[in-house]
Order: sequence, then structure tokens, then C-alpha cells
Amino acid sequence: MFRLFEESGFTRVRSVVVPHFRFRKLATQNSAEAYGVKAVLFTATRPATA
Amino acid sequence: MADPVTTQASLEAVLKDEIIRMYQDVADNPEGEYHFFHGREAAELFGYDPAWLDRAPAGAVASFAGVGNPHLRSAIQPGETVLDLGSGAGLDAIIASWSAGPSGQVIGVDLNPSMCVKAQAHAATSGSRMECHQGRMEAIPLPDASVDVVISNGVINLSFRKRQVIEELFRVLRPGGRLSVTDIVSAKPLSQAIVSDPKLWAS
Repeated sequence: MFRLFEESGFTRVRSVVVPHFRFRKLATQNSAEAYGVKAVLFTATRPATA
Repeated sequence: MADPVTTQASLEAVLKDEIIRMYQDVADNPEGEYHFFHGREAAELFGYDPAWLDRAPAGAVASFAGVGNPHLRSAIQPGETVLDLGSGAGLDAIIASWSAGPSGQVIGVDLNPSMCVKAQAHAATSGSRMECHQGRMEAIPLPDASVDVVISNGVINLSFRKRQVIEELFRVLRPGGRLSVTDIVSAKPLSQAIVSDPKLWAS
């Protein structure tokens, strides 16, 4: 998604992993970890000249 | 052999119904147990100020189904126009309205029209001003360059067309506008079994 923001014209794209995010059910959490699933906070700006 | 375009369209239609069903269920049965954390427990997990959760309508808090806290970086200023993409039961929009103040404006967009009704009722209960439009995130029902800030919480990952969603966010933001979005990402491509299962994708 980071790349999609940049390719769509956004600048100052930043991302930080959301701490403490997890699924309630262990089986779902285990599957999520196998796929490297994370919650991320993205920030980005539409350039003033765009 | 099935036409891939038809298959994709059909899958998206089924997914739309499943997203509406699942998040409507969370809103209608917040005491239920889901495989994701929700309600006040989730909001506190993600660092929402307990004072916000005390101040917000109980129904909006109980139905919260976000994956993080977009308010940590939104820096909403008085007078700004804010879009909450996928506004659900309205908690994030209501919190945003406290920062935007009476001279600002908060606009929710949600796939489910009954969630718009619920969010606006919650906003009214709390004395907050919020309008909500039913619509798809791939075709946001707002004019070009009409908002200062976009917030969203656990929504974009539900779309099969993420690039289109992000291009829509770019379109509706004013030049110089910004976004603060929390969402789910995967380091590895999801298996076809997950991609083709609307219940798994929606959750």
C-alpha cells in the first residue's frame, strides 16, 4: 500500500506499525502471522502543487 | 471456462454483501464475539484516549471495529473538512468533529446506508455535526479537491481495487491536504482460497 500511495502522487508517505494489533482468535492470529499480516498507520500528503 | 472479468465482478458483488453483513452484525450485536477485537476493548488497545470513549455515545464505542488509531497523526485543525472513509457507526467521525469544531465539517462515507443512519444518530446524540453519504470507496461521492484531511480505519484492505481507492483519496483531497489511515497489510500474497472466500476477505 505504501507504494500505491507514492504511485498515486502522494508525497511524504510514512508508515508505522500499529502496536498491539492482533486478532482475538488464536487460529486467525497464527494464520495472519504466517502471511506477515500487520496493521499499519499511513500518513501522506497531496502536494500543494498537484 | 469462466470469464475472469465476470468472475471478478461476481466476487466483488458477493464481497460487498458480506462486508455489509459482517459490520452490520458488529453494530447490531456488539456483545458478540468476533475474531477481531472490537468496541472499547479494541479502542483502548489502540491508544484511544479513555476520555474520548467516555464522551462518545456508547453505541458508537461498542460498534468500533477499527484496526488502529488514525487520530494519532491526523492533526485536524478547527475549520477543516474531514472525510472519514468507511465511517461505520461513527466513532472516528465524532472524534474528528471535536477537533474540526463548529466551523469545520466531518463527512462520512460508508457502503452501508443503515450504518450512515446509525453514525448520524450517534453524532446527533453527542452534539456533533456529521453528514454521511452512502457510497463505494472506489467511487467516493464527493467533488474533487473538497476535503482537507482523510481518515480511515481498517477499510481500504477490504477493496479488490486498492489503487483505485487511493487515487480517489488523492482526487478528493485539496492540494496540500493529508491523510492518516490505519489499515491491514500483508507481507505475502494471500492464497487464492482467502482471496476467493468473501467471509475471509471481509474479515
